[in-house]
Order: sequence, then C-alpha cells, then structure tokens
Amino acid sequence: MPPVVLSDSFRRVLFLSVFVLAFPAAAEKVKLDPSHWGHEAGDACVSCHTKSSSGLAQQWQDSAHAAAGVNCMDCHQAERADVDAIEHEGQIIATIVSPKDCGRCHAKEFDEQQGSVHAEAYSIIEDRLPALARNVGGSAMQAASCDQCHGSRVKVRGDGTLDPATWPNSGIGRINPDGSKGSCSSCHGRHRFSKAQAREPEACVRCHSGPDSPDKEIFEASKHGMVYAAHRDEMNLDAAEWIAGRDYTAAPTCVTCHMGAAGKLPSTHDVGLRNVWSLNTPVSKRQFLVIFEDGAKMELPSDETAPRRGTEMARADGTVGVVKAVATPERRRQAMTLVCVECHGKGFTEGFMRQFDAVVELYNTKFGEPARAIMAGLYERGLLTPTAFDEPIEFTYWELWHDEGARGRHGASMMSPNHAWWEGMYLVGRNFYARFLPEARAAAGEQADALVDAVLRADGQHQWLEDPTQRSAILGFAPQEAE
Amino acid sequence: MGRLRAPLFITRHVLIALVVGGVGGVLFMTFLLEFDHYTSSNAFCTTCHSMSYADESYRQTVHYNSASGVRASCGDCHVSEGVFAATWDHAIGSKDLFKQIFGPDYDDPVINALHLPEAAFAARKWFQKRDSATCKRCHTLEAIQGKRADTAAIHREETDGKSCIDCHYNLVHRQVPDASTFKREAWNRMVEEEFALEPGTAERLMSAH
Repeated sequence: MPPVVLSDSFRRVLFLSVFVLAFPAAAEKVKLDPSHWGHEAGDACVSCHTKSSSGLAQQWQDSAHAAAGVNCMDCHQAERADVDAIEHEGQIIATIVSPKDCGRCHAKEFDEQQGSVHAEAYSIIEDRLPALARNVGGSAMQAASCDQCHGSRVKVRGDGTLDPATWPNSGIGRINPDGSKGSCSSCHGRHRFSKAQAREPEACVRCHSGPDSPDKEIFEASKHGMVYAAHRDEMNLDAAEWIAGRDYTAAPTCVTCHMGAAGKLPSTHDVGLRNVWSLNTPVSKRQFLVIFEDGAKMELPSDETAPRRGTEMARADGTVGVVKAVATPERRRQAMTLVCVECHGKGFTEGFMRQFDAVVELYNTKFGEPARAIMAGLYERGLLTPTAFDEPIEFTYWELWHDEGARGRHGASMMSPNHAWWEGMYLVGRNFYARFLPEARAAAGEQADALVDAVLRADGQHQWLEDPTQRSAILGFAPQEAE
Repeated sequence: MGRLRAPLFITRHVLIALVVGGVGGVLFMTFLLEFDHYTSSNAFCTTCHSMSYADESYRQTVHYNSASGVRASCGDCHVSEGVFAATWDHAIGSKDLFKQIFGPDYDDPVINALHLPEAAFAARKWFQKRDSATCKRCHTLEAIQGKRADTAAIHREETDGKSCIDCHYNLVHRQVPDASTFKREAWNRMVEEEFALEPGTAERLMSAH
C-alpha cells in the first residue's frame, strides 16, 4: 500500500486542530519526580526566616509548595557562575526566581509563556520607551510606572547587588539576569504562589486598568463583571482543575476567557493565544500567531503572507527561527469561542463577535487609517519633526489611538457600552474632528487640501462634513419647519 | 645586728645591668603599648590617602555614628586585642605599608576600587580565622537584643557554628560579593562605569602591576 502523503496545508490544519482541541483539558501536574526537590538546606532557611521575615515565611507555609515539600532552596538555589548568584548563610542563592527557575518543575507553563505577549511585554516597548519615559517624563518614572507592568531589564551590578533602578520589579515581561523573560510572581505572588489569586480579576487589573487599557473598568461594567460580583463565592477558585462549565459556571474572570480551560479547550499560559485582533495599535490587525521550533512565538498581521512550516523567519529580536506552526486568526477565534459556548449559544456567540469586529473595522477605516495617513504625510513633507511629542498634534494623535481608540475597541471586545462609546469611540470622534483635523490642517498650511482633506474625501465616512445644513435637536435647537 | 648583704654574684655591674634591663623592659613594653595604641588609631591609618576611601564608607555606618556615642576605631576591629597579638598584627600589617610604597598606586581611586575585592577577601579571612574575636570585644552574643522583635531570637537560635563575620560582611565598607560568587569582569565593568572609563581600561590598569 503506498504511503499516505499529507499536503503541508493539511498537516498544518491537522496539527492546529490538535493544538486547539487538545485533550485532556486539565491543569498540568508536575511530572518531575519528587526526589528533585526538598533541598536539605531548606529547613535552616525556614527556621531563620520565620523570625527575620515572618510574613513571607508564613505565606510559604500556607502555600501548595510547602504542602508538597518544596522549600526556599528549591526555588532560590543558584550556580556560582550565575550572573546574580550571591552567597547567603553558606548557600549560593539568587534573589530572583525566574520563569526558567519555575520551569524546572513547571515545564509546560514555562514553554507556554515563553514568547507570549506577556513575556515579551518589555521587549516590545524597550526601544519606544525613551520618548515617553525619559523625554516627556523622566527616568525616575520608568521604574515606578512603565516597568512595574511591562517589566524591567534587571541589571546586576558588579558588586553583586541588583540595581535599584531595575529592581524590585514584578513586571510581566521582566528580562531576568538568566536571560529568561517574564515574572510568574506578577500574577501568582512571590511566596504564597496562589492559583486562586491568579484566577481573580484582581491579579490582572494591577496593570489592565487606566486610560489606555481600562479592562478592569470594562469588566466591572459588563454583564460578566456583574455576575462575578454577585456570585463571587461560587467561583470554586481553589479547585485543582478549573474548567469552565465543569468546575464552575457562576461567572467568567479574565483568566476564564484568556487562559483558562473550558470544555475541551486546554488552559494555556500564553495569554494572547485566543486574541484575533491587536487592539492597542494605531490600526488594529487580525493576527497570525507564528510558533517557532524553539518555542518562541510571534504575532504577524494577517494581511502579510503566512509563513510556511519549516521556513526560516527573522524575529523581532533579530534572531532567525524555524516556523513550526501558524495559528490563523480564524483558529484563534475558534479557541475563544469554545470558552463562550460553555455558557452561551453558538448563534449568540457569533452575533456578539460580529458586533465586536464591526466596531474594530469602523475604528480602523473611519479614524485609525485616515489619521495615520495624515500623520505620515506630515512627516514625509517635513512639516513635523521626527522627534515624538515635541509638537502638540503628536499628543493628539497618540491619545486618539492609544487611549481613546484602545478604550473604544476594548469596550466593544468585553461588553462595556459606556467604554465602547462615551469613554471610547465618542472621544475618538471628538478628538478626530475637533482637535486632530484642525491641528493637522494648521501643520500642513497650504498643503492642507492634499495632505488632510484628500484623505477624508477618499473615505465616504466623512461625507457628512460636506453638508452644513443638517440641524439636529440633539444640541437643543429643533430642526426648522420645512417651508 | 647583722647587716643585709647582697649575694656575692650581685656585683656592681650586675646591679647596673638589672636596673638598666628592668627600666629598659618597662620602657620597651610601654613603647609597644603606646605604639600599638597609636597605630590602631583612625588618625594613623588615614595618614595614607589610600585609606581615606575605606574611611569614607565607614563614616556612613553605625560603627562610626552610634546613638550611644560608642565608636569603633580602625584598630578596634582590625587589630587583635593584647599587646603581643596587636604587635604581631602590626608587624604582619607592615606589608600593607610596603605595598603602599612599592606596589600599585592605591591612592588613585580607580586603582583602589579595582584592588578592593582582594583586600576585602583577605580581611574576611582574617576575621574568620580569629572567630570574629575583635567583634566580641564589644558585642556579647547572649546580650544582643536588636530593634526588631526577632533579632534576639535569631542570635540565640540560629548562630550555632557560625561566626559574626559569616553573616555580617559588607557591614562597614563598600559592598563586595563573597569570594565564591565574585566576578572580576563584572566588577571591572562597574568601576569603569563609575569613573566613566573606556571598557577594557580596568584590565589594562590591573595588568600594569
């Protein structure tokens, strides 16, 4: 019998079906043999730290780690050669327990979070930081604000201490001295290391709140947040496995939709896996998720050609990776939908997704793309300096997409009508028509028609500006009687 | 009444020798005591400019400025107690003087910082070898109370087989990692950064000696 030859594309679909619909949908148990932990020096640490820092020692005592016999040394032990190794009470340890350290036991979670949008949160913005963090603000702000969420590039000084400009830090994309990216403690805490804590929305809203990503406020204002607040005590947050539809049905939290197991969908520590759109960009794109042989991942706009399996690709950090698989936006939507249908009907779910997509497309075509085209024209003609934020219109444009635009899109994605409109798209519209366009015309001067109005004319959605006679009662002036 | 007679072997010369030797011995011991006392003082140590760097960091610590007004001098920590031990330490310590005169230019802040780790390692070894004897001149383990609730308990229950220096290094002078985790290259880069020097300058300066 001749061998069955599968086409590349079929194989890709097959692989991704497994990838998205993997069995069983259960939290990964540590597969390592218990002989790998329970370091003999651990008791001495506990004895002293119960006195010297009783709070953290007690948190560890109350943790699943302590119950399993995982002690201080199991996580904090280091090799002499490690960049951040220090001598402490006769042991060689490191202060920072990195995802790589956690990955000694939690291999699956470590692999999943590598290359995720969380792990890359600092790398993605590192070269963009100075414009805001140093020029508009000052370097003191970076450690106290940006880096607290995005992470820092932790610097070990020559005297073995951690540079206070970069540490303490629990940012989710922290670049650790061992080269690994991320910070498990960002969500799980340092010593209690609680599953329940990470499943609570509070674990996320430390960062996912405020003007540019008001996910806290959106969730609280949504039906999901409403039922969560009402049925918080039915969430079964301490369950070993936490499968939506089986272990709990009361309400979803952030983790439920973005990371948690649901029905046959496995849980994942890649928080962006199920996201179709980039929502925090000047123009939203549907995205491919490229997965490399070495475990790294990369988002790729879906208007570019999807790379084929086995091909080499340059990555954001300059390294070249071999493509292992590509998850299409449709696949990612399918994964998210599997969560929805644990509580909602299929038609209901599809209808909601259509409403959400329509808002993103509206933002893109009516505001995001024209605003970007106008800015690009002003830069090309030298009417704006290349330096960011040294002209008022750059703040106007930044807030249009980064704050107001992101709020509108996030509001639609997670069902807060207020954020979708009043806090979001209404402000985008007000900014676009009443601030951005006048400032752009002023900057363009005599070239305003070519650089600004031509862009608006190319898109029918701004046609209403051409008719100055549409009186509306909305401002309290009734339309005049027809003569 | 019989007269008191000195033994026959006490001749005039012997008597003179005894008096001169006795007075000389007392003078010599007095000299040693005074010498040890003076050469243990901060004023003597800091006559070498190179020691002013150590002095600078020490002045920031509680060993210089304590609430009670007790102040530990250089010698209180770095010279052993007792005239013989102190004299021995000074005799051995004279190699520092030799190196100050004939060795690298320790007065230069860069050279000083580059050579500091080895000096710190040597000092820590010295403390370890003597079981932190000079610490115990002032500190009595059983009497340590501390300001925090647990300090006393830690010193009662967690110190078996440990010497003060095992935990309390980097207490008075500039932070230097333990020898086991010290990384020369990282230290050199730090010093270069501190003094705004070209990368590689540290190695060049180190190999010049």
